[in-house]
Amino acid sequence: MFDWLTNFWLWLTQNWLHVVIPLVVFLATYVVGLWVRRVVYRAFGRWAVVAKWEGRQVIIQTTRAPFLHWFLILSAFMAIEVSKLDFSSKALAGKILASLLTISLTWVVATLCASILKLYIGKMKRLQPSEPLIVNVIRITIAVVGALILLDIWGVPTTPIILVLAAGILIAALAFRDVIANLFSGFQLAQGEQVRVGDFVKLESGESGYVTDVTWRNTQIRSLEGNLILVPNSRLLQGTIINYGRPLKKASEPFHFYARLHLKELTGLKARNLSELVNLLREVPDSVIYYHTHHFLEEHHYLTPEPASDFALWVSDELGDEVLGEKLASIDTFDFPTIGALRTRIEGVIRDYLSKNPDGRTAREGAEFHFVKSISFVLPTPYTANDLREFVEVLRQISLDSLSYHIFEARLRLKKGVNDFSTWIEECVGDKDLADRLAYLDPYNYTLESLRSTIIQLIEKRIK
Amino acid sequence: MQNEVHLQSRSRLQDYELIVGRSCIEELRILAWELSGKVIQIVNSTFVGGGVAEILEHLIPLLNQLGVDARWDVIQGGEEFFEVTKKFHNALHGRREKILPEDFALFTEITERNLEELRFYGDIFFIHDPQPVALIAKKKEIGRNWVWRCHIDVSNPNRKVWEFLRGFVVNYDAAVFSAPNFAQKLPIRQFMVTPSIDPLSDKNRELDQGTIYSVLAKYGLTSDKPMIVQISRFDRLKDPLGVIEAFEMVRKGIDCQLVLAGGTATDDPESEQVLEEVRKRAEGNPDIHVLLVPPESDLEINALQQAATVIIQKSLKEGFGLTISEALWKGKPVVASAVGGIPLQIKNKFTGLLCYSVEGAAYDLKQLLSNPEYANWLGHNGREHVKQNFLITNQLKDYLLTFLAIGPLGKSSDIIYL
Repeated sequence: MFDWLTNFWLWLTQNWLHVVIPLVVFLATYVVGLWVRRVVYRAFGRWAVVAKWEGRQVIIQTTRAPFLHWFLILSAFMAIEVSKLDFSSKALAGKILASLLTISLTWVVATLCASILKLYIGKMKRLQPSEPLIVNVIRITIAVVGALILLDIWGVPTTPIILVLAAGILIAALAFRDVIANLFSGFQLAQGEQVRVGDFVKLESGESGYVTDVTWRNTQIRSLEGNLILVPNSRLLQGTIINYGRPLKKASEPFHFYARLHLKELTGLKARNLSELVNLLREVPDSVIYYHTHHFLEEHHYLTPEPASDFALWVSDELGDEVLGEKLASIDTFDFPTIGALRTRIEGVIRDYLSKNPDGRTAREGAEFHFVKSISFVLPTPYTANDLREFVEVLRQISLDSLSYHIFEARLRLKKGVNDFSTWIEECVGDKDLADRLAYLDPYNYTLESLRSTIIQLIEKRIK
Repeated sequence: MQNEVHLQSRSRLQDYELIVGRSCIEELRILAWELSGKVIQIVNSTFVGGGVAEILEHLIPLLNQLGVDARWDVIQGGEEFFEVTKKFHNALHGRREKILPEDFALFTEITERNLEELRFYGDIFFIHDPQPVALIAKKKEIGRNWVWRCHIDVSNPNRKVWEFLRGFVVNYDAAVFSAPNFAQKLPIRQFMVTPSIDPLSDKNRELDQGTIYSVLAKYGLTSDKPMIVQISRFDRLKDPLGVIEAFEMVRKGIDCQLVLAGGTATDDPESEQVLEEVRKRAEGNPDIHVLLVPPESDLEINALQQAATVIIQKSLKEGFGLTISEALWKGKPVVASAVGGIPLQIKNKFTGLLCYSVEGAAYDLKQLLSNPEYANWLGHNGREHVKQNFLITNQLKDYLLTFLAIGPLGKSSDIIYL
């Protein structure tokens, strides 16, 4: 032991310069490093304050300690370079220091990127759910690059590894191309502010509803029937969407759409001539009068409006009495608030005619007037509307049975005196003017499809 | 004894959405839901052949897809029994038939046997046509809801047969007929449900031009000339000779061809004779094509209808006449006699033209061949009319409503809230 110390002291007294010079270089480099760090951080701090960049603290906190480590490594490197060590020792020391620097830099870059990403993703609410995934992908990428540099430092051939990695990435990119496309589209959506949560949108496919969430893969839309529609972000960006923006003024009560289906009940009653017709007219229930004044309109809804009254058609076609047929056809159903009033008018017209004209022809066998009763089944549909925009969109989708129920049946058969749409618009939306326009619209002048279009146009004009 | 029929679904319910719209199917689902937990036992006399079996074959799988537990049973008869019920059928149609007391006795005897052998498990019994009508006797024992579906034109029935059957019908909860003029004076409720066509069946689905041309080529027809087509079995009541007569009147002024296509009925010995008469009448006229089409040739019938310029149905008497709906569904202008259920399908000058004579038919054919725009307009309207009223989804809806109407909900008012 003492021999070894004696030998070392002897060597040191003879070669003291070989130790002192590297030591001085080490200390000088480290001091310069401390000075550089101070200058750089001061300059960076000033710039960050001026630029109001919120990432300042992240950069400083992440790099402040490692900065000293890097100059420590640099100082060691400089000291070794000026030392009298042989070439192979210097090379080995250089590789070890380069490896330490690579590890440190990789760790700092990875931490820095993750912190900055977290900072920005934190601001984009829609991308928050995907934050761990994005951060981990970045961390892994940087770690892989660091590992490749390390391998290169130690002379391991990296080209085959890079090729394998590239092939792997390519395969992964192909396998997850939809996910990647959706991810990037999600970024675009988040940054472009094209679609925001709460917007009312209509897709190219015709579906419409409110945007409830935008995730990194898809956009969630709540349809008017209450169904959740998941649209991949890439499809949303590629296709045409109409964004109507924020909802309109909400109605105090939602409008629930109903549909009405008819079952025809045969009464077994039939009339062969006008006298029999008018006598039976007085006896039959309201649902018979409703059927014979509305079924033609509904069954032939695609035709240009024709006289909706079966009585008029039978009198003209079967009894050949064009004059009375015209009188009956010209009774405007829209003028009557109830079926009872309509029945009285029809009866009155026939009685008046009979008083002036003797009972004419009798219908041929098989062509008698058969009284049919309409049994209405009213059923709820999944559609509701909370504002006029939703109302218009639902109106486009509902069946004609639903339209007929709210327009014809509600007004006349349910004795409301006015159609359901007008009532809701006046009472729940508070738009009396629009409600009046719809109330005064004579539905008997339209085919059912053109009636639907006319109502939609009236409302659209109002909400534009 | 095997009398329960199990069916495989041929078309999916959602396939009809493209034709009738989603809301229509949604409405059917709501109605079906109202019947959940109920078993609908459908009973008729045969599960093969005939219009009723054909309709049930399509309807029951669709009912099942809607979630309605509908099951189909057939009664057992035997040759003699079905000879008697055939006579009943003809008599109800208004034809003169010699009905003997033994016939009624046999009907009662076979019904007794079926009452013993058939399993009655339904909550609602849906009995089709006269053959199983007397099964209603079971109602006294088991109760439940019973509906009688009459597919026959009973507007002018043989009173003796009707009175016999009426004794059973009055015990039902409701009867269903196909047209308003079939309604009878009955103490029970009577509903109207029209027959329907299946737009996805081979008989009615859209065909590509290649298929149509190959059928035309098979029968030696050309698409160069306007084509008037009548599809019906060779039966005097379909008036094929009247059609030829009308065609000859048209042919004087317009270069066109006539196709009379149909089969002969095995239960109608007269049909072979009618076919011969028609062939003889058409002899020497290269523009008249009389085609004897074998049964199960739905695709070929479809192709002929789609290739037609005008479709004619000059029947002297007709039940409902579903060939009219088939023609209208293909968007073709139709000239048809105003008999049976045809006026329900054709509103004169709106969805087609109605005629009452050979001359009237010829005049209407000329009108349509000379005015293609008018013909197209009628064809378009006709298709819409069928879509609205005579597709299988409508019949499905009407049957579901009927089942609901006879339940507790339907007894209170003419407006029923579900």
